[in-house]
Amino acid sequence: MSFGIKVQESRCAGCANCIQSCPTEAMRVIDGCVTIIEDLCIDCGECMRKCPHKAIVMNEDDWELIHSQEKVVLASDPVFYVQMNAYSSQSLIREALASWHVWDITEYMGLAFDLTAYSLANILENEDHQNLPLISTYCPAVLRLIETNFPELIGRIAPVDSPLEVGVAIWREVTGNTDSVTLLAPCPAKITLVHNPEGRESSNMQFTVSVGKLVRALLAGGPKVHASFPEVPNNRWLEWAIVGGESAHISNFSERKLSTISVSGMRNTMDLLKEMELGRLRGVDYIECRSCDLGCIGGIGNAESRFLSKMRLDHSKTNWDVGEEELRTIKEWHKTDIWKLKKELKPSQRAPLSEDLNEAMVKLKEMNRIYSELPQINCGSCGRPSCRALAEDIIRGQGEVNDCIFKIRENIQELGKEIVELSDRMPHTLKRKGS
Amino acid sequence: MNIIQDEFQVQGGDFANVGTASTALKSSLEMIGIPSAIRRRVSIIAYEAEMNLVIHAGGGVIRYYVYPDRINIVAEDEGPGIPDIDLAMEEGYSTASDEIRELGFGAGMGLSNIKRNADTMEIRSEVGEGTVIDSVIFISG
Repeated sequence: MSFGIKVQESRCAGCANCIQSCPTEAMRVIDGCVTIIEDLCIDCGECMRKCPHKAIVMNEDDWELIHSQEKVVLASDPVFYVQMNAYSSQSLIREALASWHVWDITEYMGLAFDLTAYSLANILENEDHQNLPLISTYCPAVLRLIETNFPELIGRIAPVDSPLEVGVAIWREVTGNTDSVTLLAPCPAKITLVHNPEGRESSNMQFTVSVGKLVRALLAGGPKVHASFPEVPNNRWLEWAIVGGESAHISNFSERKLSTISVSGMRNTMDLLKEMELGRLRGVDYIECRSCDLGCIGGIGNAESRFLSKMRLDHSKTNWDVGEEELRTIKEWHKTDIWKLKKELKPSQRAPLSEDLNEAMVKLKEMNRIYSELPQINCGSCGRPSCRALAEDIIRGQGEVNDCIFKIRENIQELGKEIVELSDRMPHTLKRKGS
Repeated sequence: MNIIQDEFQVQGGDFANVGTASTALKSSLEMIGIPSAIRRRVSIIAYEAEMNLVIHAGGGVIRYYVYPDRINIVAEDEGPGIPDIDLAMEEGYSTASDEIRELGFGAGMGLSNIKRNADTMEIRSEVGEGTVIDSVIFISG
């Protein structure tokens, strides 16, 4: 379900840029405007990157409206804290937000990310080698990609909830607070995390605003800070903003040396999952896939360059020492179910051509025949991402051969020949030339 | 009769394109609603068979046939042949060169992986003439 993005129809030029960038072929251009096949959309945001007209945008809530409330509770993605030079630490940002009556529940996030990493280390230590590697649940777009394209790997998804959810859950439990919480999201997938989550019935959060929106608001004549807030000692969780940070955090809690693979970007993610599906990842304990380049700092909803964010993270000192008191707290929470995935994940694929196998086979044969007669250059003019997708749409009754401009051209040529032939016919009353 | 079939030429040493037949077969099976567990087994067999053609046989051809009750994958080559099939079936036994092992392939799991995932598997091989690996997966239900 595409809860994370929306199409601004008035801006859509009906070009084919987005449909060919979609990793699950979920987009079609129909009557000059793009539409999304919701079952296939994974909210990765690739189409937003490719759209030259900015017709596809993040489906975020209205920050002005949220901000106009008396008090705003914020749950930030780690990315938020590496976006700004002007506000170089968690405490400065918290201070700036507080002067706006916006409260970020950072300290609970730090604990939740620790708890998630600790729980994962625990699972990986006790899991039978045959059931490894497990897959990270952190990137919601990757979870959806697995559901649509790699359903066989669903059983390998680590049974832990997103630490962003866990952080809010802990905050609610400790404080008893029932206020609405707004997630600062770096990408459309994390918007879906709130509005249509995987692995749980409903989210602990209510609204979403893009990281970029708030960063720009803070930087545009933002509030003055006096470094009066205490420093936040736990910055391990900020490492999750970059690919590899999660694995480093888990390894930090693990007794044994873990073999992990961390990749970012859609192509690398697809390739790694393909290799895993073919059973080629023996000896690997954990795989961490992020659909955006360099990880969440590459999210389309951020304000800062991913390269500068990476540099800032590289330059910051991560405090990997977990204090005794901290560890005790983590272990206490680990005894509860709060960090666990609440609901099984389910495959989400396009329906087969027919429920009846024999009929489906006949249709597939027909589809292959139609495809073999198409030009197979994937030009996109028919509004489909590929000639194969057009053949499939035709078989599903959602298109016709003449949607292909090359087929139309052929048909016009045939028609033209026929016209020439017809025009060559002479009335019987006229003599033919030369006869 | 209602059969879906296709054929893929595989070039020897062409590691870059390994997986073409396997991916195409997997997507066809998805279109006709074959359960994902069967799709996975089929794509592993097709992939390992392709891999064998690339590594050992100097290329060959993969054919697949989808019947309403079963899927048949046939890999055929005119390569060196297998002198001792029982030995070749053993896990970890491999005749792959060091060069290929350095690429991370040739672990000696190919044939045993096919056998593990197929319902029936038959190997016909003549030294100096070539090899045919014929495997079948039943579609239950």
